[in-house]
Amino acid sequence: MLMNAAQMHIKYKLILPLVFLLFGIMLYPLFFSLWLSLQDYRLTRINDVQFVGLENFGLIATDPSFLNAMGNTISFVVGAVILELILGLSLALLIQKLVIFRGAIRSILLAPMFITPIAVGLMFRFLLNSEIGIIPFYLLKVGISLDWFGPGLALFSIVLIDVWQWTPFMLLMFLAGLEALPKTPFEAARVDGAGRWLTFSSITLPLLRPVIVVALIIRALDAFKVFEYVFAITRGGPGNSTETIMYYIYQTGFRFFRMGEAAAASILLIIFILIFVILIVNLSRPKVIK
Amino acid sequence: MKKLKLSAAMAALAWATISTSQVAQAGEINIIMEEVPDYDIVAKLTDQFTEQNPGITVNFDAMPFDAMRDKILTSSLAPSATYDVIIIDNPWTDEFARAGFLEPLDTLISGQDGYAYEDFVPALADISKVDGSIYGVPYYNYALGLIVRQDIFDSKGLAIPKTIEDYMSVVKSLTTNDMYGAAMQPQKGYKIMEEWKNWLYANGGELFDDSGNVIINNQAAVDALNQYIETHSQAAPPNSANWGFDEALRSVSSGKAATMLSYNWMLPALNAKGGMSGDLAGNFTLHPVPGGKSVLGLWSWGITSNSNNKDDAWTFISWISSPEVAKQRAIMGGAPVRNSVMNSAEVWEKGYGKAYYSALADILDGSAPLSSGNNAEELIEIVGTELSAAVTGQKSVKDALDAAANGVERAIK
Repeated sequence: MLMNAAQMHIKYKLILPLVFLLFGIMLYPLFFSLWLSLQDYRLTRINDVQFVGLENFGLIATDPSFLNAMGNTISFVVGAVILELILGLSLALLIQKLVIFRGAIRSILLAPMFITPIAVGLMFRFLLNSEIGIIPFYLLKVGISLDWFGPGLALFSIVLIDVWQWTPFMLLMFLAGLEALPKTPFEAARVDGAGRWLTFSSITLPLLRPVIVVALIIRALDAFKVFEYVFAITRGGPGNSTETIMYYIYQTGFRFFRMGEAAAASILLIIFILIFVILIVNLSRPKVIK
Repeated sequence: MKKLKLSAAMAALAWATISTSQVAQAGEINIIMEEVPDYDIVAKLTDQFTEQNPGITVNFDAMPFDAMRDKILTSSLAPSATYDVIIIDNPWTDEFARAGFLEPLDTLISGQDGYAYEDFVPALADISKVDGSIYGVPYYNYALGLIVRQDIFDSKGLAIPKTIEDYMSVVKSLTTNDMYGAAMQPQKGYKIMEEWKNWLYANGGELFDDSGNVIINNQAAVDALNQYIETHSQAAPPNSANWGFDEALRSVSSGKAATMLSYNWMLPALNAKGGMSGDLAGNFTLHPVPGGKSVLGLWSWGITSNSNNKDDAWTFISWISSPEVAKQRAIMGGAPVRNSVMNSAEVWEKGYGKAYYSALADILDGSAPLSSGNNAEELIEIVGTELSAAVTGQKSVKDALDAAANGVERAIK
């Protein structure tokens, strides 16, 4: 049905509030960050803001700490999301087969997701503490002495904490996806005598692909923001072995008051994430057989 | 009705949130404080101030250290200050003064009868002077000293080490399977910098030379870091590469370590009967750090330049830091900052004994701040990160100190 001019007019008026809202909460801060990134803007010299062009980007891109933080963040995202994917999918497949206590087990497994990350960080800081932690205490009883926040293990420990908290999210997504899959292909496979692995790899996984891609993107984007565990446990140490990009930006902007450089680092991060998401979406598209 | 109650509760919550950060009215001052034992003492003493000055209402906003810097910044950037009085950590002093956040106090101090500004320990008072003006008066010190288990030293016939080499030798000799010579704090950033700089001073090093050149990677620094790493690997508890203040204190108070370099005012807490040390209480003594030159920390009282109640703010500061109230504060357990307090027989008797205050006076004499200048906070973090990388073997000593020097030069440009 064609709209007349008056109806078109109302249509645009109706979306105006949303446009204003988006502008206020998304576009304005984004453009302000872009403007900040081109200035020498320090919170302790707010009356002496100077335009420096792309100098902040040059400073950040050549700062070994920024490059190290990016490397740590990528290692964290890849490690945490892959582990969460494998564990989440495995648990979802197991729970799907459960006949009794399914709801109760699902609720219990989802619990870590509802704890605020800073509390999770503090909790594991004490659980894994070499002096008073219950985990090192019992590991030592069986002859295992590990420095969970030492230089070799600290980043991996942070990954494990994230896996503990966010595997339930993957579980939730995959369980919903599995329950929504059509029954017919599985029945046909059973009639044809397909084994469990063949059914899983040839039917379950391909049908679940859209859910996996969405879950991967949501979790990866969230994992890029990792800050609370680092802040609560290691402050980026030992050395800078657990310094992530968000901690780097926080430190540059809010501890050293170099808002221009912090904004430049944020813009570089946005560009990196955009490329990452486009790559993931493209790589995960089903191959078309010609 | 339920909706109405919910709306009322939300409105009350919003009002409570707003009211905690509102600008003080006339006759009212807002003070930001760190949640430490010294704050509890100040809060108790303030009842006397309120009695003596019924026209001034004092509102404290106490919080953990991590939240303070941001709050002070936002208050100082606003047209009118949320906080009329702030406490200033010594690395922040230059930065806040040069940013115009702080009111110069010279005229107020010189016009205050009986204030005895010269009675403050000079090393502490000097921290708050920027370009010849005074921007703060000392609140409490956190100079580092050597805390030892005197019973262990006595039983083994060991003398208190005076040099860093003696200290290394003593703590190695004290290390056994179930006892460690030194509980150290190599945690990245502030903690390792605060501890290691005592070793740097013992080797005659500094961050900058007299001309302002960065010398954090010279031979003195290399030697100091090598000694620190050697001691950590041979005399500190295993798996302690990320330890900070809490872990080291727990190790000493539970009898697992014999010495630590820590804040001087931890001594009374360690020796308190029924306190954290249990049966070990009374066995701890305080001494100057090996090498003789301690890292000095200070919190000072300051008035924000955008405060609307500067007169009332100074009335409070001049009262709480006056010689009489400073003495009361020390007797109640506060860390002293005035010579007259540390030399007072009354404070010795009612406080923690002459030995503690004499040791503290020795520590403060000749001590030097952790870092000063416009980017002190950033410099501490940069150097402290590289030191941690060297201690944990991620970088060689030379590479770490060169990276620290490059980072410092980049930051001060």
